[in-house]
Amino acid sequence: MKIKDLMIRDITSVLPDCNLENLIKILSRHRITGVPVVNQQQEVVGFISQHDIIKAILPNYLEIIDSCSLLTEFIQLSKRLKDYSHHKVEEFMNTKVITIKEEDNEVIAADLLIRNKIQRLPVVRQNKLVGVVTLTDICRILLESNEKNS
Amino acid sequence: MIATVTLNPALDIILEVEELKLDHYNKVHNVRSTAGGKGINVSKAIKSCQWDTVTLGFVGGNRGRIVEEELRSSGITTNFWHIEGETRSNIIIWDKKRNYHTLLSETGPLITEYDLEMFYSIYSRVMSQCKAVTLSGSLPPGVPVDVYSKLISIAKEREVKTILNAAGEAFERGLEKGPYLAKPDLREKNQILGKNINNEKDAIQIAQEITQKGAEIAVVSFEQKKDIIATHQELWFAETVHHQIVNLIGAADALVAGLAVALTEEEQEFSEAIKFSMAAALASALREEEEFNSREEVENCLPYVKIKKYQNLVKR
Repeated sequence: MKIKDLMIRDITSVLPDCNLENLIKILSRHRITGVPVVNQQQEVVGFISQHDIIKAILPNYLEIIDSCSLLTEFIQLSKRLKDYSHHKVEEFMNTKVITIKEEDNEVIAADLLIRNKIQRLPVVRQNKLVGVVTLTDICRILLESNEKNS
Repeated sequence: MIATVTLNPALDIILEVEELKLDHYNKVHNVRSTAGGKGINVSKAIKSCQWDTVTLGFVGGNRGRIVEEELRSSGITTNFWHIEGETRSNIIIWDKKRNYHTLLSETGPLITEYDLEMFYSIYSRVMSQCKAVTLSGSLPPGVPVDVYSKLISIAKEREVKTILNAAGEAFERGLEKGPYLAKPDLREKNQILGKNINNEKDAIQIAQEITQKGAEIAVVSFEQKKDIIATHQELWFAETVHHQIVNLIGAADALVAGLAVALTEEEQEFSEAIKFSMAAALASALREEEEFNSREEVENCLPYVKIKKYQNLVKR
């Protein structure tokens, strides 16, 4: 199956100069964990996720997430978030961006998602963003096609 | 890709009752909902014509998410700015016995300056991957009346064809920026540029005035199934001749979609583009509930479209 037939047809994205306050508003209102970062021509230049932000502003937080000091670290995290609210996405985004073409198939997408431990994979046509694919979508499609076959 | 803008989308909720009784208990036999708003309807028709389309505008809350989800699952790309308020709903009560449709329409949520600024940024980026954009429909509270003129300017900077389909001052302000095509929305008031449109002569006058004010092409509808199409050099009359029309509600949006598709496909002659857009409107009008869903349906309607070129431009 081609990626264009299973991708989420949403091109919500941010510019590299978007600040963290706006980014968090977008993630929260869209109920997503990360977005592609694009330039003015809609070419994907990076990806930013909640994970990237937390890792940058409080590196220890993700390591101690299972420990009993989580609460104090959480308070620290919220303070740091406020301090960083006007910083730009380009400071935190992952620039080694992994994308997939809409004509590729679900096997390539699943491989890229699993091997790179990422949740959302931007889909491009001539380098411009046309959608996003997630592992959940791939699993859903595979499940549906299995049900049809059986 | 063809973009559509819907600044005030809605979740249309259709309630079917046997016979609506006012101030009385009414049992609802069937409920269905669908994403609505002029630009969204245009996108649905563009998608049916096998073109990629992206729809932009403002959505909010659960209703907004339902609208987005429906569009994406039907193959339409979305890039809405999510606002704090809730997307409006339109309640349509369908009295099946008398075939009355009673519409209860909400105004829409407040759009802040911050929302507008974020929307302009999205719109500007999306224009880099589009060949045409349609700007249709009413403005929600908080959106300035010159919004379409600003959107036309941004699109023109990126060499994107603009199709303006609005009413009143928003239309007139948009005209100042010279859209590629302008079609006044006459649903609420059969009047534009201070003049009523009652017959062919009025439609010709207005169409020519629209081109003089800056649009390259003007389309003016009159008597429901007839249109005047004017450019600076040519003047055309078009009408559909089919006797099984059941629903004219979405026909105007389908016409805009047909124009967007046909004028973007470079191989189409202007006369063919007019015929295609009229056929799209007819394909929509032949369906009772939903929009047509294939290009074939539009092409099947082509024999029922009559067009005529006026030999001499009518003097005003």
